[in-house]
Amino acid sequence: MIEIRNLRYRSLHINYLDIPRGITTVIGRNGSGKTTLLRLCAGIAVPDTGTILIDGTPPRQTNIGWLNEFPDRNMLFSHVEDEIASTLRFRYLAPEETQQAVQRIANRLGIQNLLPRQVQSLSGGEKVLVALAAALVTEPEIIILDEYDSHLDQTRCFEIETVLNESGCDYILRCTQQMESAAESDYMVMLEDEDLMLAGTPPEVFPLLKKTLFYPLSWRAGL
Amino acid sequence: MEGWIVKLVLDHLTIVQDNFSLAANGEFLEGVHLISGAVGSGKSTLALTIAGLISAKSGCVSRCGIGSVMLSFQFPEYQITGMTLTEECISWGCDPETFFSSSELKEKKDQSPFSLSRGELKQFSLSCLLNKHYDLLLLDEPFGSLDCETKNKFCQRLSQQKKGITLIFTHEQAILPRVDRIWEIMDGVLLDRGTPPDAIRQWCGAPALIKKLIRQGKIPQNITCEDVMEAACRT
Repeated sequence: MIEIRNLRYRSLHINYLDIPRGITTVIGRNGSGKTTLLRLCAGIAVPDTGTILIDGTPPRQTNIGWLNEFPDRNMLFSHVEDEIASTLRFRYLAPEETQQAVQRIANRLGIQNLLPRQVQSLSGGEKVLVALAAALVTEPEIIILDEYDSHLDQTRCFEIETVLNESGCDYILRCTQQMESAAESDYMVMLEDEDLMLAGTPPEVFPLLKKTLFYPLSWRAGL
Repeated sequence: MEGWIVKLVLDHLTIVQDNFSLAANGEFLEGVHLISGAVGSGKSTLALTIAGLISAKSGCVSRCGIGSVMLSFQFPEYQITGMTLTEECISWGCDPETFFSSSELKEKKDQSPFSLSRGELKQFSLSCLLNKHYDLLLLDEPFGSLDCETKNKFCQRLSQQKKGITLIFTHEQAILPRVDRIWEIMDGVLLDRGTPPDAIRQWCGAPALIKKLIRQGKIPQNITCEDVMEAACRT
């Protein structure tokens, strides 16, 4: 369980929130605090007051994979292969093992053909795939994705969701504006004006949003 | 101007970059055009070529009756010039008073554009851009990172776009504007799917929901949420 208690960070505040294991999707309007909440859970930012514990451990002591909303801004190396291998190399993992781990993750994501490419030459969506490979290569317990899907088409989104489902991560925490995909998650959190508005499973949360455009179109159309 | 024909012609255009090539041939008349295609299919490359920022290997882009051209990039923060939202708004030639009177961002008008969230910034730069008329408006992924409500607001705004040629390059699958023509980039070729509703049937990359409706024999009139709902409710 991710336990958030009396959290205050700038103007974001959440008094009490428990996020269960599985896929959790954070939704809300632009500027509602989604990215801020994810950054706090990832340990990139530290709460002004209050606590976040992931299975009893603070984020900064947990092995977390992070996928930025602008994947290329987090990239350090010019070649895809070096980028994916970077975390393992920083940990002084043996070259053969690093090589194997990179190949394994590239196969799983279907991006073997991208390995020799220059990061600069990738399309927006390909960069997301490379960043995801770099985040998953350390086999983290929790992966946090900040609206990665805004750069992907539906085929790629579906592929990535499959990879995420099979990633073996205890927690997948993400935010999205694609409600059809949010409806597939195990748990949902809705923020409004940097405050917690709703939390629950999609069948609990979405009926309360029926009058808004957050209600999935497929549900509305009965398809 | 009566009888003045505004059109954009892609005359046997070939764009080659590294191990990627794109062939585009077609005429874009006044109205809203959707150019759909998978990630990496070359949507942005085509937008940049039409805008004149990339040169084609062969063929040409001709603009008839087109004076003003505007290209909106996928990531607006690379093109920010103002220190505050107000300054940025003025740099686009907008009157800040009118602009902010109807904007949800009015309370932040003295803040730096970089203090906004990614979605807010996109929303802000799109509003600035759409404040003026352009004969040719190229929108590269205009809906990326906008929330559902804001996306819908911009779609309604774009649906009303009667004058000029608007090209929307996107892989958005849920909230779309009413369009006059659908194009699709597949396997390195730009394909003209025609005008809706017929175009929707030919559209390989149609959203999953629309494909489901087609299988049930219910072809939406156009591609907006309302059209999808109308088709879904048909008995």
